[in-house]
Formats: sequence, structure tokens, C-alpha cells
Amino acid sequence: MTDTDLELVRLRKIYPGGTVAVEAFDLEVKRGEFISFVGPSGCGKTTTLRMIAGLESITSGDLIIRGKNFTHVPTERRPTATIFQNYAIFPHMTVRQNIEFGLHVRNLSASEIKKRTDAIIDKLQLGDVVDAREGALSGGQKQRLSLARGLVTEPDILLLDEPLGALDANLRKSIQEELKILQRELNITFVFVTHAQSEALSMGDRVVVMNAGRVEQVSSPFELYTRPQSGFVARFIGRNKIIPGELADIDGNRASVTTPLGRFSGVPSFKAGSGTVGQKAMVVAPSEYIDIVPAAEPAGDAALDRARGTVTSVEPVGQVVYIGVELPGLVPMRIEAYRERIEGRGIVPGSAVELRWKPERATIVLGEA
Amino acid sequence: MRNFNFLKAGLGFYTALFITFLYAPFVVMGILSFQAGPEGGPQFPIIEWSTYWYQHVLGIAPPSRVAPLPIAEALTRSLTLAFATMVVSTVLGTLTAQAFRRHFKGSGFVFYLVVLGMMVPGVLLGLGMALVADQVGIARTWWGTAFVLHVVYTYPFAFLVMLAIFNRFDSSVEEAAWALGVPPGRTFRKITFPLIFPGVLSAMLFAFTLSYDEFPRTLFTGGSEVTMPIAIYGTFAVEIHPNLFAFGVLTTVFSFALLSVYGLLMAASVRRAKTKGIGVQEDIE
Repeated sequence: MTDTDLELVRLRKIYPGGTVAVEAFDLEVKRGEFISFVGPSGCGKTTTLRMIAGLESITSGDLIIRGKNFTHVPTERRPTATIFQNYAIFPHMTVRQNIEFGLHVRNLSASEIKKRTDAIIDKLQLGDVVDAREGALSGGQKQRLSLARGLVTEPDILLLDEPLGALDANLRKSIQEELKILQRELNITFVFVTHAQSEALSMGDRVVVMNAGRVEQVSSPFELYTRPQSGFVARFIGRNKIIPGELADIDGNRASVTTPLGRFSGVPSFKAGSGTVGQKAMVVAPSEYIDIVPAAEPAGDAALDRARGTVTSVEPVGQVVYIGVELPGLVPMRIEAYRERIEGRGIVPGSAVELRWKPERATIVLGEA
Repeated sequence: MRNFNFLKAGLGFYTALFITFLYAPFVVMGILSFQAGPEGGPQFPIIEWSTYWYQHVLGIAPPSRVAPLPIAEALTRSLTLAFATMVVSTVLGTLTAQAFRRHFKGSGFVFYLVVLGMMVPGVLLGLGMALVADQVGIARTWWGTAFVLHVVYTYPFAFLVMLAIFNRFDSSVEEAAWALGVPPGRTFRKITFPLIFPGVLSAMLFAFTLSYDEFPRTLFTGGSEVTMPIAIYGTFAVEIHPNLFAFGVLTTVFSFALLSVYGLLMAASVRRAKTKGIGVQEDIE
């Protein structure tokens, strides 16, 4: 347990009006881990971050940082630093003064303050603007200043609240990389809140998906992408195709679902024993694993799961072609395929096609789609 | 297009009229203050241009049948009172507005309670205060009963100004300071206060000017040692001489000087917030 940095134990937030913002959040974060919180707006991810920072009171549960309980400790006495979406630069202070501000309340000598400030200015390349104020800084500089200001206090945990939201796409990409490198170098735990799944997946060692105040799944990015544990995650993360139906059979590491298109199987996302035959369930397969072929083409591999449909549209975009497919009894689907795999195979609007995928690539998720 | 021009002309006329009514009395007063003295009265034509009445106000004119304005003491009282009112009202107003940044139980009621102080007619409040003071045996003085009413009257103005300032205030800078380990008290002094300072200046200006020329409340509660507005009113009762105009010009000039200082301070604090601070490394210790 010694290398656990952050522990949330049934953390709850209920607003005075009775609205539940966060429901029983359990999480353990290892030292030096980069953990992302992702979810739609209002899902409770920012509220959770603010509870960790101490900017939002905790209704019940415990917040433990490096073994010490910080549930009711005020913000200024927590070993965390927070990076805000709008950076919250102190507009009446220069870059240097902004960075030094948090050091003045710590018992440090003037020379130590200067040493630390200079080091972080150097690290985050703010040397050219040390005497500038907020108005003279670019978006990227403000971003780096807010990071410098937080990191100079040497927090145990850095909390980042949608820190890239206000940047343009190119800058966002490069700062994403900088952040990741910085985190590896400093070996500080980062808690990173974002509404963009691409950010969460590319930056996080682990990703927490939240919806309506609840944690839907905590997984590595790859597992999250390929093995969703709930209908919400299946829809929110990645480009999954979902076929709803009823649970037909569970057999250890394999389960199957009866759907309007036939019976399909896959890896169950739920623990053995928690699903009952006949309950609502769905087959989820990442778009990348689904092949689209003319219906007449013989199946080479008998083990493939197959669904038959009619092409309604073909829309090429660069290397990729988006194919609208109507499947009996389902809402129309959009399948992506590489252009070279499609061309000359007679996949045109009106033609009959088959979707084929390996059952072991599919996941069986309980619940209504 | 034609209609638009017509509208423009109409608005221009309206503005001209507004400015005329705003400044005409002052211009007339300014001209008449240079009337010859002591024989010249407060009306046109100007007998002869002179600065006699200014000398009269300042007490350096030769003695005449026109009694000097009782300003020396009254002015000191008024300025002292206005200053004290300004300090108390601004502090109270800022603290109250700070409290109103978070909703609390009964905040609506408290809001109207505070604002009532500027809504209740001054004459009623003054009279009521005088009655209460006499009942409970408190002497009516400019620094006691009148001072309390001045605060009651100006505090809502300071409060409303600060409320508007806090409305536009981005509190994430305060949260950022706390998150850096800076306690709330220090955060207020080093972050919040410097950022709301322009608003505090406005609140101070309001409180000072409102108190300085306050009349009805002071009339009933100020006691025998009168403030400037009451003293001036007292001289009306006898006869009006251009020395009043001279005094008016002097106070207006003084007010404009005060406003200029306010304007300069304001501009400086805005500039400080906006531009680069190269070479102006002030101490944030």
C-alpha cells in the first residue's frame, strides 16, 4: 500500500438541493500514475476533481492521500496543486510573481525561492516572458505558466481540470505530448479531467469513465476501447457497433446473445453468475474489427459471426469509405472500411452485404442498448 | 437611411439639452461669482468684474455688512464626517458584498434590509432618529447620530457597487491561490483586493460625495454644530450674496480635482492589470 498516492473511498457529493453529483466513487491511484477522468458534461468528473482539490466539500466517504486522511482538510493544506481550464493566472502579477506566489507561504529562504522559480521557468521555457503579465501571454504560455505555478510547489498530486480545452487543435496536440513527458520526468501523480475521449485515451495510464455521477468503468485505454463494460461506455468510447438482444447462454469465457439478426457470441464483460439468461444484453464490436463483404462471397472461416444487410449509401472520405448499412430490425449502421478493401467488389447502394467479425473480438454487455 | 439621420439628429438634440441643463446653472453661478462686491447682488448684469467674493469666502476681504460664510468649522466637520462615512461604508459594503457571493439562507431578505437604507426618505429617517435619540436621551451630534445615518444611507450604495464588481469577478483566481497553499486571508489581501480595487475606489467616491452634501438626515440629527450644507442653507434664510457662488465654484473645482485623482488611480490600476510590467517590479511580499 505504500505506493498508493491517492485513494477515494465511497466518495459522494450531494448538493444542498438534493442533486447527487457524484455517487460512491472508489478509486486507488498508484504513485506516478497518469489517470484520466472522462465523461459527458455534468457527469461529475470535475466535481470529483474539485473534491480532491478541496474546492468542493465532500458529502461522505474518504479522501486519502499518501495514507493520510484529507477529507475535511482545507484546500491550502492539501498536498495537491490544481490547473484550471481558464488557467486562472493572477492578472496583476508578472510571470515570475505568479510562480513565486505559492512559495512565499512556505518557509523557504529567498535564495531557495529564487532557485526553484528559476528552475521551473527554465523547464517550462518561460524565460522570455518572466516580466510579462497575463495580457501579453499567448495561450500556450499561459498554459505553461499555470503548470509552472502549480509544479513549483512540489505537490504530491497534480490535478488538471480540462487544461487543454481553451487551446487550438495544433497546440493541444503538442502540449499533450509535453504534459506526458513532464509527468514521466517528475514522476508525480496526474489526475486529468477531460470531456474528449481522444485525450483521455492517449494520455492516461488508466481511464475512469463517468456518467451521471457514477463510475462506469476504470480500465487501461486499450481495454476500455476494446472491452467496454457497459452500454454507456460502448457508445461513448471508441467507434463500437452495437446489436441489442437478449442473453442466451453463458459458458465461462464465452456468452451469446439472441438478436434480430441471429445469435452472436463474444466475451462477457460481466462476472460469471451476474447475468441471467433472457435478460437484455448487447453484442459490442469495435468498428475496426468488422469486415464488410458482398453477401454472395463465401465465408472462408466458419467461426466468424455474420450479419446480413443492404447498403444504403457509400461515402468516400480520403482513404476511408463510410458505408450505410440497413440491417433488418435495427437502426441503420455506418461501417468504416478502407477504400482499397471495398473498391471493385460491387458494394454499391442497394447491394446485399454481410458484416463479419471474430466472436472473440466482440464483447457481451448486459443492459439495454 | 433618412429615418436614421432623423433619429441621430433627435438624439443629438437631446444630448445637447441634457448637457445644457447639467452645466448651465454652474456656468451662471460661475459668472456671477465674479460680481463686484460688496454692493453687487446675485443677479445680472455684472456691475464690474472682480474677485471680491472669493476674497470674502477666504476671509481676506475688508469687513462689510455681509457676514462671512460660517465655513471654516462647518467645512472641517463635513469633510471629517464624509471621510469617516466613506471608510466605514466602504468596508461594510465590501464585506457584505463578499458575503453575498455565496447564497445563504435569508440572503434575499438581508439584501432588501440593507438597500432599505437608501430607499427610505431622508426626512423620515432623520426625524425618526431625532425622536428616538431624544426619547433615550442621546445627544444629537454630527459625529454621533448624524454619522450613523450617513452610514445607513451610503452603505447600500457601496454595497451595490461592490456587488456588481464581485458579479464580474472570476473567482477561479482565488481558488488557484488556495490550491497553491495560500490561506484565505492572505489570498484576499494579495489576490482579491488588488483585483477589486477599482470597485473599492468607486464605492469610496460614492460614499464620500453622498455624505458630503447630505442634507435632510443631517438637518434633524446633526445638532447645533452644523455641517456645510446646513450652514449654507442657514445663510439663505437671511439674504443671498455671490459669496455663495464663489464658494460653489471652489467646491466644484475641488470635486473635479478629487475626481481627477480617482480617474488617474483607476487608469493606473487598469494599466497595471493589462500591460507588461517591465521595470515596475513591485513587491508582492
